[in-house]
Amino acid sequence: MTMKAFGAMFWAGVTMLRRDRVLLITSLGLALISILVFGWLFTSNGATALNLGVVDQDHTAVTSQLITGLKKNSALKVYQGTQSEETQALSDGHRGAVIVMPANFGADFAWGHATLQVYYDQSSPIEEAIAHAAVQSIVANLNQSMQSAQSAQGGHAAASVVTLHEQAVSVRSLRQIDWLTPGMVGMLLMWANLTVGALLVGWRQQGILRRLAATPLRPGALVGSQILARLALSLTQGIVLLAVAMMLFKVQVVGSWLALLATMTLGSLTLLSIGFVIGAFARTESVAQAISTLISFPMMFLSGSYFPTDNAPAFLAPVIKALPLSYLNDALRQIINNGADLTAPAVHGDLLILAAWLLVALLLSTRAFRWA
Amino acid sequence: MASTANVLHTAQATPEAHQTDEIDQAHQAHQARVSVRHLTKRYGRFTAVNDVSFEIRRGEIFGILGPNGAGKTTTLEILEGIRTADGGEAFVDGLNVRRNRRAVQRRIGVQLQATTLFPELTVRETLRLFGAFYPHALSPEELLREVALEDKARAFPQNLSGGQRQRLALALALVNDPTLVFLDEPTTGLDPQSRHMLWDTVLRLRERGKTIVLTTHFMDEAQTLCDHIAILDSGAIIAQDTPTGLIGMLGASAAIECELRAGNATPNEANIAGHLAAIRTLPAVTDAREGAAHALIYTDNVEQTLVALFQFASQRGLTIDHLQTHAPTLEDVFLKLTGRGLRE
Repeated sequence: MTMKAFGAMFWAGVTMLRRDRVLLITSLGLALISILVFGWLFTSNGATALNLGVVDQDHTAVTSQLITGLKKNSALKVYQGTQSEETQALSDGHRGAVIVMPANFGADFAWGHATLQVYYDQSSPIEEAIAHAAVQSIVANLNQSMQSAQSAQGGHAAASVVTLHEQAVSVRSLRQIDWLTPGMVGMLLMWANLTVGALLVGWRQQGILRRLAATPLRPGALVGSQILARLALSLTQGIVLLAVAMMLFKVQVVGSWLALLATMTLGSLTLLSIGFVIGAFARTESVAQAISTLISFPMMFLSGSYFPTDNAPAFLAPVIKALPLSYLNDALRQIINNGADLTAPAVHGDLLILAAWLLVALLLSTRAFRWA
Repeated sequence: MASTANVLHTAQATPEAHQTDEIDQAHQAHQARVSVRHLTKRYGRFTAVNDVSFEIRRGEIFGILGPNGAGKTTTLEILEGIRTADGGEAFVDGLNVRRNRRAVQRRIGVQLQATTLFPELTVRETLRLFGAFYPHALSPEELLREVALEDKARAFPQNLSGGQRQRLALALALVNDPTLVFLDEPTTGLDPQSRHMLWDTVLRLRERGKTIVLTTHFMDEAQTLCDHIAILDSGAIIAQDTPTGLIGMLGASAAIECELRAGNATPNEANIAGHLAAIRTLPAVTDAREGAAHALIYTDNVEQTLVALFQFASQRGLTIDHLQTHAPTLEDVFLKLTGRGLRE
């Protein structure tokens, strides 16, 4: 029967949170709008054409013809340069792929056994897929024209004249939207969870807690179910935000999803318990709301949600170090941008500090919270 | 034979009864559903409930009547398990409320003085939620039918009128189909029609065999509904009996109210107090007191007293105005016991 009560209270909590429009707007709404604004306003990769680097080490008629054909392709923007120039450009994120035509390409082509070296940017699978498809089609066309030329001459057509040697190059090109997204996830978790204290104080003030006290529902079940409901809501919102960033702006979660969900869960619980502390020390709902807002705004800007705080003035450094959101944002960035998983020491440090915050806040709030 | 005896034994012994606490003697002896002994509750220097004792019988409507601030709500909340007493004990169905809080709460229904509900849940969702707290619950539809709120199932609490919210609070009190229901000032703030609807519902509940405990400061409510009444004032019980018994305390069959004026003077200037002593000696008068600007004369023979009163007035050159008689009420009882009205 207690499971039934817990479950009912959990679903009621989810329903109530779903219908709380103010909460949805301040958490998911704010984060979504930020991502859309920054994503569309400041896109650096707006070009729909693939930046293709071409290195001609052969300088024969064949390669010139090939390059001319490539330039005619409107889906490609062709840059020519030396191998070192173009591969550097690829590393810097200015090229989607680089094709190298080696020294004897023309001759080998005439013999029917030519190879092309292609370098792809593997850190962006979508870009890589586009580049791959483009290069494949170029080579297929080349092979086809070669075959038709051969059969026209009455000879036996080779299956493929040009083969590709592909090499992936890992490029870490971080766009602003990539950097912003984990920060927005962290901020969303803060807004979604910090106000739980105000909610409970409001329930106490309005006599809702008293009415519940007259039922067999245990206080533990009440708190536990509401924590779980908030957690469910936070994670759902976070995933929605990430989905939008991934679909609209091709942001990628490079690291493990398990680590991401674990970090989001721990972050939510930590922020929830801080919310409880606020509720424990506020007498009225409006005071609790005010305190939550007072804490949220500086935390939003000083913990690296919107912009890096590496160059902040020295006197702010202790404040930044004291904010739990700083560590959550850092852990999220490690996972989403840098590909960390749960074994990464960088992530460990952040998670440990979040766990410490969680413990302290939990102890404090369970002691101090007044239920009546 | 032995097996049926075993079955009976295990059927009667509830897990709670096995705990080491006293089973109320009165419960066994008088079949009292609720037994309160020397209940006390203090807030600092202020004593809200002062050595309160009473018993409530199975199937009756028991009223706790008293002015605002008398300690009615505090007493009820102790019985409901949401407040702990500083002294004394309370038993519900033989269970000590302090030690078996959850077991008691499973079998009672509670309507608080002001029920605020989750603003983001509809009426039906709220009823279903509270139902899930109990082993067995009535369906939201049944409950809404009981309190005539069927068409409000999808409404949110903010969109209900005051009377409708009270009815919803009552539905919540009945969600686990309890046989013992506590109602704290159930008609305060209601219009007359809603009040009478609620009275009908309470009487209907008693007909179904439920025991009802209600608090009120309305004497007509107490008189109409209750089988037994405890009058509470400043935390202490000053009288306990059936309504008839309490009114019988006055020894009067009627109360006469009138203004006495000396010639053109205002009733106040007539100095009623000065005449009270004499009025008390009039035939069949059991008591006489001064009201706001009138005299209250209790008598057990209204005809005799009236005749004597007219003679008295003309003798002293007083005019009688706004003469009324009424059957004595609990208001009169309270006035006699405390010198104050229930509503002051």
